[in-house]
Amino acid sequence: MDLENITSFSVLDARGLTCPMPLLKTKKELKGVPEGEILEIWGTDPGSKNDIPHFGGKGGNSFLGFVDDADGYTRYFIRKG
Amino acid sequence: MSSVSFWSSLKEEARKNYIAIFEQEWSTWLAGIFLAIVALLIFLWKGPWGVAAGYRNLGDWIFYFAGIGGERPYSPLLHPITLTSGGLLIGAFVSALMSRQFKLHKAPPLEYAKSAIGGVFMGAGAVLAAGCNVGGFYTAAAMLDFGGVAMMVGLIIGAWIGLRYLLWEMEHVTQKGVEQHPPREKWLGVQPYFGGTVLILVIGAFYLYSAFDNTELGGLLFFGFLIGLIMHRSRFCFVRAFRCPFMTGDAEMVKVVAMSLMIYGMGVAVIKWAWIQEPSMGVTHNFWMGSLFGGVIFGIGMLVAGGCASSTLWRIGEGQTKMVVTLIAFAATNSLLARTLKTFDVYDKMGEGLFIPDTLTWYVTVPTFIVFFVFWAFVAIWNEKSEKLVIF
Repeated sequence: MDLENITSFSVLDARGLTCPMPLLKTKKELKGVPEGEILEIWGTDPGSKNDIPHFGGKGGNSFLGFVDDADGYTRYFIRKG
Repeated sequence: MSSVSFWSSLKEEARKNYIAIFEQEWSTWLAGIFLAIVALLIFLWKGPWGVAAGYRNLGDWIFYFAGIGGERPYSPLLHPITLTSGGLLIGAFVSALMSRQFKLHKAPPLEYAKSAIGGVFMGAGAVLAAGCNVGGFYTAAAMLDFGGVAMMVGLIIGAWIGLRYLLWEMEHVTQKGVEQHPPREKWLGVQPYFGGTVLILVIGAFYLYSAFDNTELGGLLFFGFLIGLIMHRSRFCFVRAFRCPFMTGDAEMVKVVAMSLMIYGMGVAVIKWAWIQEPSMGVTHNFWMGSLFGGVIFGIGMLVAGGCASSTLWRIGEGQTKMVVTLIAFAATNSLLARTLKTFDVYDKMGEGLFIPDTLTWYVTVPTFIVFFVFWAFVAIWNEKSEKLVIF
């Protein structure tokens, strides 16, 4: 999947936040995303590289992947399922 | 020709191992086993592993330099737990450098305030419980002190309250993310060399301690270093064991900590039952009031700060600036409250260490210990499926 050019329904900016805040906010934000749409999360916590993929694949949602942005943060993509 | 292939195969193997150790993350299961082994080695080498006393030593120095400290505190270079805790920080720093992951992380302003408040709570909780998540819970339980179990109950309650607060904050406070510096390629390339240099300095320090007849202290620094390395490579976080069952339902860390404690506790049982170390060693926790209430306060603090005593140290090692605030707040509060309680003579009323085999005998203690932690893991596994305890 071409993650660079994906169209996200909404973007959650969690840059600078550390565990557990990025995950908590992801869980909350996902509730407002319609089924089939994509939530994009921006994060900088190294722990998120485990947490978000692990969590993103649960509960019928699918984790699509992440890309490291040149500006020093990571973009994660979850499709609400 | 054969010599060329010998060296090139060696080089290939070294490269593969470097990637396995420093580029791929370790499983927390492996880390849980390593942690129990190093903790047992520390027990055999000197005594029970703790972290918070190092914070107290730092706090004592802060007050001493501020001119309100009274007599000169113990030198950090000769303080056994300061050395282990300092070693933990250095170990994580080396690990972050070797993995090219060291980076100064900036957090939004509110996060710094939460780091300070969480540090204050943890500092206070660690005084009441006579130890942090390591000394008061992990080690205390392994030393077969009822206080460790009481603190565990407190930590579970505290984590629940702390998570409630975080959820409230999320609904009522909006905060924007902060941009971080993009990584600089050149710096990334030199990080492993820098890390290697620090590693050599740590080994040098061990020999230096040894040369001055302080092998024991040098060993403690090195054991702390190993723990920092293990914790950073696996991102080992005790907070998860208490938080995740309420947050996502994830049971992984409960299983890991329970397993690690079974190894550690049974190792201690062998050492104590055989009188290799005094059975009463490390049975010094304030059972039950101090441990329980200290656990609750500490639990709230670790959720708010986003790290416990040990993970605060390894996160500083990888460049989390907000954790430095936690360190200072924890250290200062711990030192101040310990003095205050000593002055007012309250400390003795909070309970005392109670050695489990003294109450239950060795024959009952060993299976009960195992069953208790297996039960904890089973509850977490059941909750993972049913999400009965998940509050969000």
